[in-house]
Amino acid sequence: MSEQELEDRERRDFLGKVTAAVGGAGAAAACWPFISSMNPATNVLSKATTEIELSMIPEGETKTVSWQGKPVFVVHRSPDQIAAMSKSNSRIDPQPDEERAKKSEWLVVVGICTHLGCVPNKTDKGWSCPCHGSEYDLSGRVLKGPAPKNLELPPYDFVADDKLLIGKT
Amino acid sequence: MARLVISWIDRRFPLTKFIKHELTEYPTPRNLNYWWNFGFLAGFVLVLQIISGVFLAMHYKPDALLAFASIEHIMREVNYGWLLRYLHSTGASAFFVVIFIHMARTLYYGTYRAPRELMWWTGQVLLVLLMATAFMGYLLPWGQMSYWGAQVITNLFGATPMIGDEVVVWLRGDFVVGDATINRFFVLHFLFPFLICGMVLIHLVALHYVRSSNPSGFNLDAKDNIPFHPYFTTKDLFGLGVFLVIFCFFVFFYPEFFIESENNIPADPLNTPAHIVPEWYFLPFYAILRAIPDMLGGVVAMVLSILIFTAMPYLDRSKIPGGSRYRPAYRILFYVFVVNVAVLAYVGAQPPTDAMTLLGRIATFIYFGVFLLLPFLSKHEEKWLLERGLSREVLDLIEGEESHERRRKATARREETKR
Amino acid sequence: MRAMLPSLMALLCVMSTYDLRAASPSSSLADVELSHESENLKRGAQFVLSMCTGCHNLTYVKYRELLRIGFNHQEVAELKGDNDINAPIFSPDIVEMTKSLFGLVPPDLSLIAKAREGKGRYIYTLLTSYHQNEDGSVDNSVFPGIRMPDVLSYSSTTDDQDRKVLEEQARDAAVFLEWTADPHANDRRTMGYYVMGYLIVFTFLLWFLKRRTWSQLEGK
Repeated sequence: MSEQELEDRERRDFLGKVTAAVGGAGAAAACWPFISSMNPATNVLSKATTEIELSMIPEGETKTVSWQGKPVFVVHRSPDQIAAMSKSNSRIDPQPDEERAKKSEWLVVVGICTHLGCVPNKTDKGWSCPCHGSEYDLSGRVLKGPAPKNLELPPYDFVADDKLLIGKT
Repeated sequence: MARLVISWIDRRFPLTKFIKHELTEYPTPRNLNYWWNFGFLAGFVLVLQIISGVFLAMHYKPDALLAFASIEHIMREVNYGWLLRYLHSTGASAFFVVIFIHMARTLYYGTYRAPRELMWWTGQVLLVLLMATAFMGYLLPWGQMSYWGAQVITNLFGATPMIGDEVVVWLRGDFVVGDATINRFFVLHFLFPFLICGMVLIHLVALHYVRSSNPSGFNLDAKDNIPFHPYFTTKDLFGLGVFLVIFCFFVFFYPEFFIESENNIPADPLNTPAHIVPEWYFLPFYAILRAIPDMLGGVVAMVLSILIFTAMPYLDRSKIPGGSRYRPAYRILFYVFVVNVAVLAYVGAQPPTDAMTLLGRIATFIYFGVFLLLPFLSKHEEKWLLERGLSREVLDLIEGEESHERRRKATARREETKR
Repeated sequence: MRAMLPSLMALLCVMSTYDLRAASPSSSLADVELSHESENLKRGAQFVLSMCTGCHNLTYVKYRELLRIGFNHQEVAELKGDNDINAPIFSPDIVEMTKSLFGLVPPDLSLIAKAREGKGRYIYTLLTSYHQNEDGSVDNSVFPGIRMPDVLSYSSTTDDQDRKVLEEQARDAAVFLEWTADPHANDRRTMGYYVMGYLIVFTFLLWFLKRRTWSQLEGK
């Protein structure tokens, strides 16, 4: 093999590698629109937050609202209930009531049982899941299994005195 | 590691052997020009259409009440939905451009001849499948042009003798194109590409059995065949690059070029647009349909205009291969045909005035006349060429092909005796 | 290669028949330049939402999307009125009202620019083609017998300076309706420049690679 040919071969290899790298990068980039198209569309994303008028919920009442298609329980707790909750705790997933509510009279929890995703029913003491009998108190903490964890807390904010915004803004 | 995996597979499945035999070392005539690029391009567009179509189908709703709005949902709200849709709509036109060039190449070089008749015929089946798929897909946006196009074309089946009306209602599942129609068209539009893939596979198996044709029309001597890789991988990929530059120019800058503006108005079964035209790739056939005054006759002529290609291996009776390359009369006929198709396309796009109808009839006459003239012309041309004496180039090619054949037969005999 | 050039020409002929047909009806439209600047779009939106949505819907456009042409939340809140921000610019009452008043439902405006040959130029020309007949009746030279009233009062305005102002409004409306018909046009073109740049570089690389590979064959 002459020197010229050797040099040629090296140059071709370099050219080949560059072309393959550029082509590979392009093909990878071309995948993105397809993958991205499966993410929530803008009309779905716009449902990512839910606004609630709190004046509609009298003390002691619970309202179930839909947030991102999931049920969220908004409970207007009475002073008696708040007092009871701050004293008791869960043995399965202990957490003080102060950490569970930003304003103690308002409890906001995702109404999906942490066991297998059923929606718990309201009881006097809190909630009870119809699927496998898990029980939660009025702080959304699990009292009886099989649920492993307390009810999830969604991100929320009191945007005005009587206005609650669920979801990240 | 990779080598271990491959050798594990190779003991159970002829992977390396298959790649070597059918791809990297597949002997390919070295004189293939860029017109031989379009088969590969058609394969690429098929894959592109399937991928973009599958992702579109995730957001589309085949329902007369929801279809139009779901397309607007894709165009406005789905992430990159506009890109998916424009790739798919532009891809449909690109598919026909590529396929028409692929067919024109076969006609120009006369490569439908023995032993490649089956390649030509599977290609015909692919064309019909592609047309059906495109037609059904065009209904799905449920715009005015979609709706009335489907209404008119399904009505063509009314020309079926005796049971015409029943066939039309059966096709639509309704008395007019309606909810039942769009739902079944969606299902079939999704199904047909699988049939196309299957037919492509047969097309490719046939190709690798009879080997690629080449511009000379002769089978080349072994020394003039080169491995597919790296020569044709690089050549095909370069062709793909050029194709993508043109294709993406339309997708990003003129995406509505191939979409009728009327189709931005939702389908209205009570109101026909002033001037309905089919998609551009159906225009020549549409012109033939309109040229015949009788409905059944028009439908028959239109169907024949596609089916008649099937007879090409028998209509061309010349023994001299190479199509237009060594045959001046055939070449003239080819160009007459191509220009005539362009005229038909033009007529198909115009409103049916007297002058246009007359022009359409003349062009339709020429269209079929070319096919009917071919058997006589090719025979006379062959006689004339042989009398004049073949050129040195052709004689060399004949010699090459004969020695190639001899060697092939000798190898076959050796194999036979070994067994 | 050269031998097949004529057939390529023929193919281009086929393609151009398509273009011929598209070009003919729009040739009579005013040759107006439509610039898609944020201020034009915003002015156009204000015009359309105050002058047109009394009779026309924009079913496929949602109020929230107005945030994308430069309006802030406060401005959109004013434009949307009592409607939800995620609601389409659509009122079922319009359908009833116009049907009883005019006997037909005026076309939806969300896609109108794409549905007419000439896009925004058609809308501009239509809005500025109202004229008074000798008997005092108003007609439109682009769309004779149109049932839409002369919203700009273009036919009754004679002063050149005043007409300029109206033409400016028509232009903004056309720009806004081009946007509602094709809201991602800007993203698409921007992306297009990158894609074209990439593809041209990549195709050149492939060309060099192909030439280099094939040069091995020379003389063999």
